[in-house]
Amino acid sequence: MARNILEVKNLVKYFPVRKFGKKQFVKAVDNLSFSIRDGEIFGVLGESGCGKSTLGRVINRLEQEQSGTIELLGETISGKEYRKDREFRRKMQMVFQNPYDSFDPRVMIYKSIDLPMKINGIDSSPENRLAKMIETMNHAKLTPAEGLLTRYPHELSGGQLQRISILRSVLLNPKFIVADECVSMLDVSVRAGVLNLLLSTQKELGSAMLFITHDISVATYICGRIMVLYAGKIMEIASGEDILRSPLHPYSRALVSYSPTITREEKQRYRISGEVVTPIDPPPGCRFASRCPIVQKKCAVEEPTLRPMGNNRQVACHYV
Amino acid sequence: MGLLRILDVNINYRLKSKVVKAVRNFSLDVNEGDIIGIIGESGSGKSTLAHGLMRILPKNGNMEAAEIVLNGRDISKISDAEFDELRWVEMSIVFQKAMSVLSPVHKIFDQMYDTILAHRPETRKEEAKEKLLGLLSVVNLPSEILKMYPHELSGGMMQRIMICLSLIFNPRLVILDEVTTALDVITQGQLLDEIDRLVKEFGLTVMMITHDIGVVNELCTKIAILYAGELLELGNVKDVIFSPFSPYTKALVESHPDLNPHGSGLKGIPGTLPDLVNPPEGCVFYDRCIYREDRCMERKPDLVDFGKRKVKCLRAGEING
Repeated sequence: MARNILEVKNLVKYFPVRKFGKKQFVKAVDNLSFSIRDGEIFGVLGESGCGKSTLGRVINRLEQEQSGTIELLGETISGKEYRKDREFRRKMQMVFQNPYDSFDPRVMIYKSIDLPMKINGIDSSPENRLAKMIETMNHAKLTPAEGLLTRYPHELSGGQLQRISILRSVLLNPKFIVADECVSMLDVSVRAGVLNLLLSTQKELGSAMLFITHDISVATYICGRIMVLYAGKIMEIASGEDILRSPLHPYSRALVSYSPTITREEKQRYRISGEVVTPIDPPPGCRFASRCPIVQKKCAVEEPTLRPMGNNRQVACHYV
Repeated sequence: MGLLRILDVNINYRLKSKVVKAVRNFSLDVNEGDIIGIIGESGSGKSTLAHGLMRILPKNGNMEAAEIVLNGRDISKISDAEFDELRWVEMSIVFQKAMSVLSPVHKIFDQMYDTILAHRPETRKEEAKEKLLGLLSVVNLPSEILKMYPHELSGGMMQRIMICLSLIFNPRLVILDEVTTALDVITQGQLLDEIDRLVKEFGLTVMMITHDIGVVNELCTKIAILYAGELLELGNVKDVIFSPFSPYTKALVESHPDLNPHGSGLKGIPGTLPDLVNPPEGCVFYDRCIYREDRCMERKPDLVDFGKRKVKCLRAGEING
């Protein structure tokens, strides 16, 4: 079995908010534990406000956690600042949602890729770096590579730029990539290209990835396992296929049933009511209890723990 | 019976030194009771078309049409003042960003009342309130909402209010412009179910503008595929999605990840949109089409009638087998 590349234990991240002068906390990431295997694309699926982006930012050390530990390749990375640690930044890369925001609009693409390679000592000679860039781009069918490199971000389409953004991180040989909603603003026709690039680079590089998305169809396409988050808590961890074909947690079931699709003949909703709640000082018990169709008395009192259900899946619900 | 007949619409945007031809020679018949999904990616002209129909294009936008017949009357040549009379009364629109439609400093009721007054100045407050409460209950919103400000509501609630607002004069035709795009999956599903119910209850005719074929499949009866400002395929939803005649529709469906587990090999469409300042002489999809032949580049294919559907492709009958 593949070893774990990332190990997260009891991770907690709260944001303070003030409501009528009273200090409260948004429990964005509340006591999460999971591990990601080497070479795995691990999906984090959830609606807005579930804490998926916060989780990505904490793992990437863009935010500090309140408590809990994160281990990358056996080394504890939580509790530390990595602002200036280049080696860590090289190992742990991030791909953001909007590629136009992750490139300097006044800098040519070539420079935007070259600088991180130079800083991280990928190759000392500019010629070699350029050759490497061109080779990687050609390999990813971003052609003509030379032509694209001499352009500015606004001259490229969103799909092209996002693929370049992925290659920019890949060129640093990272061990772990956090991709935060990296295809959500792209049209379907170019989305497929970006997803396929992620799949192929991941295969070649063998690095693991945390793939954050709100889109269940994208998640099941690209991810091995998927973790379903709701209001800062893990509801279910299972393979994409299990989530789709036999979701166990009521929230996963609702998510699947409400996803628009072109393969299902008839709508079969697993009805739930209400809307996503922000977890500001949430009541005890299950976070999903207020909307759950199979809720019982116990759910409001005792918080369900994540328990194994066989076939590598875990569910946090008293009644499945 | 035809409710809306759009014939030969062209919409241009004037920029500093050039003219972008955003929608070209677009024709469409919408029958009473149709729920027609207008699908297109960014730059396809789908929203431009909706804004053109409502005459709310930006200042640099210009629309020309052979005719636009709504309820038996050609509205393409009428004056702006006349159009103001029918806008919202005979045809209304709901936008994507509900949050930026309403003013943040006025209560929901005051803003909705304003809309009513604009067309029916004699309406009293009590009458308006009664009407609005009726509409709110139809979309499952509590009456307290009328006293609230927009920021107190969630995205799904706001979008429901916008739908209520679009229905206050019982228009026959409602244009929904990406109404569910900004919403979460479950909220989107709930809203789609509600729209479905409204359509049946009010006997509405809907033009649903979206980029998501999944959404169209859930709600619509007909589908129109737009690419780079041109209509490429039009027909019943199931026919078009499950056996597309146009290569673009086929490629679009094959790019849709849908609910398939791991690694089913999405194709995607390499290449980019053609330049809309100088749109191609031949087929607009030529550059990215895998079925192209030389003749496709030479002249623009016509929208050919295949019985239940219309397709703009020289090889329309051949590609699906």
